[in-house]
Amino acid sequence: MSARAVSFSGVEKTYRRPGLLGASYNTAVKDLSFEIPAGEVTGLLGLNGAGKTTIMKLLTGLLFPTAGSVRVFGHSPSDAAAKSKVGFLPELPYFPPQVKPGEALAYFGRLSGLSGADLALAVRTAIERTGLEPHAGKRVSEFSKGMLQRLGLAQAILHKPELLVLDEPVSGLDPLAIHDIRGLLAGLNAEGRTIFLSSHSISEVEKLAARVLILVKGSLALTVKRAQWEAAPGGLEAIFVEAVK
Amino acid sequence: MRLLRLTWAVAANAFSESVRHRFFTLFFVFAFASVYASVLAGVMAVDQEARVLADFGLALIELTALAYALFNAASVLLKEAETKTIYLVFSRPVPRWAYLAGKLWGALLTAGLMLAVMAAMHLALLALRGFGVPAFYGWALAGAFLKLAVITAIAFFVSLFSTSPVSTIVISGILWTAGHFASEARFMAERVPGVAAPALKGLLWLIPNLQIFNARDAAGAASALPPAAFAAAGAWMLAACLGSLWLLSRKEF
Repeated sequence: MSARAVSFSGVEKTYRRPGLLGASYNTAVKDLSFEIPAGEVTGLLGLNGAGKTTIMKLLTGLLFPTAGSVRVFGHSPSDAAAKSKVGFLPELPYFPPQVKPGEALAYFGRLSGLSGADLALAVRTAIERTGLEPHAGKRVSEFSKGMLQRLGLAQAILHKPELLVLDEPVSGLDPLAIHDIRGLLAGLNAEGRTIFLSSHSISEVEKLAARVLILVKGSLALTVKRAQWEAAPGGLEAIFVEAVK
Repeated sequence: MRLLRLTWAVAANAFSESVRHRFFTLFFVFAFASVYASVLAGVMAVDQEARVLADFGLALIELTALAYALFNAASVLLKEAETKTIYLVFSRPVPRWAYLAGKLWGALLTAGLMLAVMAAMHLALLALRGFGVPAFYGWALAGAFLKLAVITAIAFFVSLFSTSPVSTIVISGILWTAGHFASEARFMAERVPGVAAPALKGLLWLIPNLQIFNARDAAGAASALPPAAFAAAGAWMLAACLGSLWLLSRKEF
């Protein structure tokens, strides 16, 4: 495994919005350089519109950088070699309402290159790990938000990716679901998987991450290590508030 | 082999989602009503009942399948982008061409199923009225399927740059209509004076000639579709798919 799971080097992303009187441009992230060490949990904190989702999409190959370079395990995020090592949970994942979790997972497993007995085992394991077993016979239309989030996580871990990219993994969940997901993520990290998660919840990031990136208006304002916020009065929250003010 | 499996996974999923959709069931009710309407038209034709029942039924089958195929093709890519399902697909090692080919394959399977079921209904009605299967029937269905395949591929292409499913349906519908008047349009373009003529002739290359798929119009009752019709359908689909791929490979989500 490479020592660096992800590296951003001078990355800029500008969105172009065509209009009747010419296009308008909005720079979401600029001059962004950071690295995510392999095997570590790295958190991404920022206010709404700070560019968190843009970063997540850049490293999953859903967006292309306007300038700079993004590397995932040494590959371009658009390369199959990079994508096969990444599991992505977008914010509010959607699944067709008429399918059962096993069917949805089987589809995404096939897209990840799994087949036959390996696929069946991967689906069963993902359902077990995310606590979806009691709901395996239900259709997605009967799922609560927490169950959908668990299913989202199940599709992300299905192919045993080396890097998990999680956009707001505990957003809107009840305390029990948050506790379960936190336990699952800690377990995945203990297996050596790299986790990169964005969240609005400072306390959640504080509990899981070894390092936190604080993003302000598309730029990296601060990188904080666990030891730093544990030593700081007011903890990570005080550091974050100071950084974004 | 891996890429073929990937493409098939996308196609099977697209097919399964389409046939499980409420809209598909509603369309079948509508399709049955449409096909049954051909019986009424046939009865009114008195002496020509067999012919009117066959022709009218086939025309209604084609129009109903077209309406469904356009709706399906116009919404399938847009819906996946709007619901963000596409994030879960393109964050995996799925080449964009494989996704596009899979979606098209799935849409054609759905259109094929729709045609087959409606044809079965139609043939049952013909049998009920005491008529056999017309000699041209299989070729007429094959022609309808080729038209659907071409227009579905074009609708996929249009959906990648249009702003809504409605505009995709309108643009593709206009192309489908214009495609049935391709030779008339060519005839008129040749008589246009001045500089407009070459521009108009150039524009006509963008409209698929769908008349060549009308087996019923050709001379001879059991007229088979010529190999050129299959080649033309393949060429139109390939062009539309390459255009779609060009747009999709640049698209961000």
